[in-house]
Amino acid sequence: MEDRSKILRLTLIYSLFFVLVFPLLVLALWAFTGSWPWPGLLPQSWTLEGWKYFLNPVNGALEALQTSFLIGLGVTILALAVSIPAGKALGVYDFPGKEFIKIFVLAPIIVPPLAVTLGIHINFIKFGLSDSIPGVILVHLIPTIPYSIRILTNVFEAVGNKMEAQAQVLGASMWQRFIHVTLPLIYPGILSAGIMVFIVSFSQYFLTFLIGGGQVVTFPMVLFPLVNSGDRMLAAVYSLVFIGAALFFTIIMERLFKSGEERSDHFYL
Amino acid sequence: MKKISLFLLILLLVLTVGCGNQVTEEEETSLLDQNWEQIKKQAEGSKVNFYMWGGNRTINHWVDTYVASQLKEKYNVELNRVPMGPDDYLNKLLGEKQVGKTDGSIDLLWINGENFKTARENDLLWGPFVEKLPNYEKYLDTDADKNTTDFGEPTKGYEAPYSRAQFVFVYDQAKVENVPQNYEELIAWIKEHPGKFTYPAPPDFTGSAFVRHVIYRETGGYEQYYDMTKEEVREAIQPAMEKLAELEPYLWRKGETYPATIAQMDNMFTDGEVWMSMGYDPSKATSKIKKGNYPDTARTFVLEKGTISNTNFLAIPFNATHKAAALVAANFLESFEAQYSKYNPDNWGALPVFSYDKLNQEQKSQLDELDLGKATLSQETLDEHSVPELPADIVPIIEEEWKEVVGQ
Repeated sequence: MEDRSKILRLTLIYSLFFVLVFPLLVLALWAFTGSWPWPGLLPQSWTLEGWKYFLNPVNGALEALQTSFLIGLGVTILALAVSIPAGKALGVYDFPGKEFIKIFVLAPIIVPPLAVTLGIHINFIKFGLSDSIPGVILVHLIPTIPYSIRILTNVFEAVGNKMEAQAQVLGASMWQRFIHVTLPLIYPGILSAGIMVFIVSFSQYFLTFLIGGGQVVTFPMVLFPLVNSGDRMLAAVYSLVFIGAALFFTIIMERLFKSGEERSDHFYL
Repeated sequence: MKKISLFLLILLLVLTVGCGNQVTEEEETSLLDQNWEQIKKQAEGSKVNFYMWGGNRTINHWVDTYVASQLKEKYNVELNRVPMGPDDYLNKLLGEKQVGKTDGSIDLLWINGENFKTARENDLLWGPFVEKLPNYEKYLDTDADKNTTDFGEPTKGYEAPYSRAQFVFVYDQAKVENVPQNYEELIAWIKEHPGKFTYPAPPDFTGSAFVRHVIYRETGGYEQYYDMTKEEVREAIQPAMEKLAELEPYLWRKGETYPATIAQMDNMFTDGEVWMSMGYDPSKATSKIKKGNYPDTARTFVLEKGTISNTNFLAIPFNATHKAAALVAANFLESFEAQYSKYNPDNWGALPVFSYDKLNQEQKSQLDELDLGKATLSQETLDEHSVPELPADIVPIIEEEWKEVVGQ
């Protein structure tokens, strides 16, 4: 009986794994070949040309990757700076209209960004923010902040402010309380919110395009036209790099935040 | 949310302090009064932002390497290619026009057809500048319709010819035995090989062009469409729409569905699912074979009574910051060496805009020796079988009708 359920479980896990990983395998194969006609099970010829194009500095892919990282980092820092106090307010304090605001925070991802951004674009031009990295960072806050506020609100709801109150009773100042009590408690929340924000910002295409006006060239902007025009080899190469870069950031963040002492989650488990 | 918007607003205000350097009107008009030497001098050391569709890595590479290095070497002008297509840069320019931004970031555009018309109607272009370019006079036939009109629309000097494209059909030599020579044979071939032909659904650019060929052949040529009202056009193209509907059972998947883009269709052709493809670029097959995207046996053909061709152009936006540098770049792109390099299938393979008669002996022989690649037809063959485009504003009507009659 137990065997059976174990087999069932394993089959389920592996088939899920297969469904997730198999497309990536196909992608990896496409990154090394220009054509893969039916009925060949594997491509007949292999080439490194896609990777050569990617690595060739004149094509600007590496530079775009750098810009994407820079913008992603800026957005992550700004979004967290906004979301930590907002999350605390929504998670810990009670005030009239709180539930409404909680839903309202999600508005930017419910309303189609296209509709809003065209209006924002005009204003950004007026303010001289279009065609610049600060402008792009600002506009990336729109689709990212709802996620980070939401995540941190839940974290604060679980943590509560009792520990902080205790520290206050013991005479800790506001900053001491934040640095030594609150921050360690919400680390895991910051980690997941940060990763989420970074990845959403990293994959923005339309907003960057419109506000950056082509002067800010991020990685998706070089990737998209190539995918769109059906260049499967190059699209595969760029997609793999894209996935790799996002993974890289995730791992760095995890290492950074989880290093040294084990930060335990037992407060809300 | 209120807090956030307040925060954003404050940030906005902080960031905007100190922005706004503007180019005066006088400077701009006087540029057109200057002679070429002065313009060249003014361009030195500045940067051209060249906004162009970025979906073809061969073209991208040519611009990033050959064009960029030549401009730097010869004129000390830096070229920055920006991968942004017409829909997006027109949006951007419209926005900038609306708020009166005068120091725009786009200096040079790759444009034609409907987009040019839109740009002109909204006063988004600067000019007329084409007479200023020494190479325009030197190498191009300045009286030819193909250089002075764009999809039937007079360019009035607001565009400089950059490249030419012509529609070709692509087939796989290993599979197609009797290559159709004309429209009737093509239709017969489609009927004899059910499921092996299709075309991308309009408004895909290439698919839409294919539909125009059917219109030309089914309704008696293109000339009639130059002065027709929209309603008359709708009426006139009906026989062609009916023909396309009648063909459906012989198409791939019995015409129940069409590839959405030419990219999809090319991949279907590569995979052997259909036996013909098409392209609005005569060197497409050669360059795709080179990239390994097409089988080695891919070849191209045109129809006896002609396939549609167009010229694509360079234009300068009304608020370009580096107009002098844009002029220098446009002039360089019209030169024999740039056009010749562009024509070479190793670099791009696009048809040149110069007129053969204006070349000197050496250039002529250079051109005659150029190997165009096994899948590209000679310029002579293409020229003999070329018909012009329809007026740009008819294209959307055709697309609507296609959707109505055929696409459903």
